[in-house]
Amino acid sequence: MIKLENVTKIFPSKKGKDVTALDNVTISVNKGEIHGVIGYSGAGKSTLIRCVNLLETPSKGKVWINGIDLTKLSKEKLRQTRQKVGMIFQHFNLLKTATVYDNIAIPLKLLGIPKAKIAERVNKYLQIVDLVEKKDAYPSQLSGGQKQRVAIARALSQEPQVLLSDEATSALDPETTNSILELLLKINEELGITILLITHEMNVIQKICDYVYVIENGNLIEQGSTIELFTKPKQATTKKFLNTISQRKLSDRLIDDLNLEGKVIRLTFLGENTGQPLLSRVTQQFYVEPNILTANIIELKNGIVGNLVIHLIGNEHQVEQSLSFLREQGVEVEELGVN
Amino acid sequence: MQNFIDQWLPLFPQAIKETFQMVTISLFFSVIIGVILAILLILTRPGQPLQNKFVYQFLNLLINVIRSIPFIILLFFMLPFTKLVVGVTIGVKGVIVPLVVNAAPYIARLIESSLLEVNQGVVEAYRAMGIKTHQIIWNVMLREARPAIVLALTIATISLIGATAMAGLVGAGGLGDLAYRFGHLRYEAEVMYVTVILLVIIVQGIQSLGNRLAERMKKD
Repeated sequence: MIKLENVTKIFPSKKGKDVTALDNVTISVNKGEIHGVIGYSGAGKSTLIRCVNLLETPSKGKVWINGIDLTKLSKEKLRQTRQKVGMIFQHFNLLKTATVYDNIAIPLKLLGIPKAKIAERVNKYLQIVDLVEKKDAYPSQLSGGQKQRVAIARALSQEPQVLLSDEATSALDPETTNSILELLLKINEELGITILLITHEMNVIQKICDYVYVIENGNLIEQGSTIELFTKPKQATTKKFLNTISQRKLSDRLIDDLNLEGKVIRLTFLGENTGQPLLSRVTQQFYVEPNILTANIIELKNGIVGNLVIHLIGNEHQVEQSLSFLREQGVEVEELGVN
Repeated sequence: MQNFIDQWLPLFPQAIKETFQMVTISLFFSVIIGVILAILLILTRPGQPLQNKFVYQFLNLLINVIRSIPFIILLFFMLPFTKLVVGVTIGVKGVIVPLVVNAAPYIARLIESSLLEVNQGVVEAYRAMGIKTHQIIWNVMLREARPAIVLALTIATISLIGATAMAGLVGAGGLGDLAYRFGHLRYEAEVMYVTVILLVIIVQGIQSLGNRLAERMKKD
C-alpha cells in the first residue's frame, strides 16, 4: 500500500556540508496494517514520513502509494493523490479562527464536495471521534486530545486509504495518548485504513503497531514485526528503546557482583510460554536455584511478551543444562554482563 | 468664543469631510495593492512553494526605496506621475496617488508580517490534503491572519490620517490644512486646538474600533 524504495534525502547546506537526512531507506506497508517508525529526534523520521506524501521531495528513490509512483506525477496529479492520503500532526494544525465543524467542513468545501454531503460527512466523522457535542467550539476551548480528535476527523472526512501520523501523540499526556491510540486502532480495524506512524515513544509501537522500523542517523538499523523486536532486539538503540518501557535494565555493577556466583540471565517468553511454570521445572530437574530480579509482562498488539531477569545459582554444568532446556522450550535466553 | 463659533466652526465639517475622503479612498487602493504585494512577498520568499529570488528581492528593494522617501518629498517628487495617472496634481484627486504610493508599501509590510505569523503547520496540513495554493492563501493564511491584519490596517489608517495633513500643500484641504492655514499662519490658536482635539478623538476612536474588531475575530 505504501512503499518507499531506496529513498535518500539530502538537504544542501550553505557551508557545503550537505546533511543526509535519509540514506537509502526502504519500507513497505501492507494494506490494513499499522507500521511504526521509531527513532530519537534528528534521526530522520520526520523527513521519512514527509517523503511519503512528498511534502519533502526525495533526492533519490521512489515513493509508491497504492501502486502509483508519486515521484513521477505532475503537480496536479500529485495534488489529487494527496487527497487520498490523510495526515495528522504533533501540533494538530487546526484553524484557530474556525469552529470544530468548520475545521472539518472547510477542506471538504475546498475539495469540491457537494454541500449536502459535507454536513453528512462532518457529522459522521465527528461521531467516530466522539466529539459531536463540541461541534461549535473553537480549538482554543479544547484539550490537546480533543484537538487531535478533530484533526483525525478532518483527515478521515476525506476518506483516505492511508493515514500518516507525524508524532500525533507526542504532545499529549499518557492517558490521552492511550485514548488516541485506541482511536487509531479502531480506525484501522473498522475502516480498514492503513497507518504509517512515526514516534519516539515505545509504548505507541507496543500498543498499536504490527511492524516496526528503528531509524538512526537516517538509516534503518533494525526492522521486524513488533513481537520479533520485543523478543529479539539486536541493536543497542533498539534495546534502549525497550528499556524505556519496562524495568529491563539492571546496573552493570549489580550484574557484575551477582555474576561472581552463578549467572544473571534474561529470559524472554512469548505467547503461550508465559503461562507455563518453566522456572519451577528447571529448579526440579537441574537442581539450580533461580532468584527473580525483575519480571514483567508486556502486552503487544499481536501477543504477549514476558520478561524475566533471574540470578541462576548452581554448578556450571547444571546452569548450562537448564539454559539449553529453556532454549528448547522456545524461550529467548540472554546472559547479562558477559562481554 | 462666539467669534470662533461664527467665524471658524463652519470650516470644520468641510475639512473633516476632505480628510475622510482622502483617507478612505487612498486606504481602499493601498489595501488592494498592499495585500497583493504582501502575498507576492510571502509566496516568492525562499523556501516557499513559488520561491523566486529575483521577484522577491525586487519587491523588497522597491518597497524599501519607496518607504525611505518622506511623504512630503514624495508628494512633489511624484507630480509628473500623478498628472499622468489622474490628470491633475491638485485637490483631493491629486493627493490620492501619492497617498496610495506612500501607504501601499507600508501596508504590504504590515500584512506580510501578519501572514508570516500564521502557523506554517496549518498551511502544511492543507498542502498535505491536496488543496490548491490560491485556496490556501484565501482560506488559511488570510483567514487566520485576519485579527492581525485588522490591527495592521488600524495602524495604517492612523498614519494615513497623519499623511493627509500635508495634503493642504497641493490644495486638497482637510483638517491638517485647516490647522496650518488658520491656526498657524493666522495665529488663530482656537482653530489649532480644536483641530488637535478632533484628531485625537478620531485616532482614539479608530484605534479602539480596530482593537475591538480584532479581539472579536481572535478566537483564542
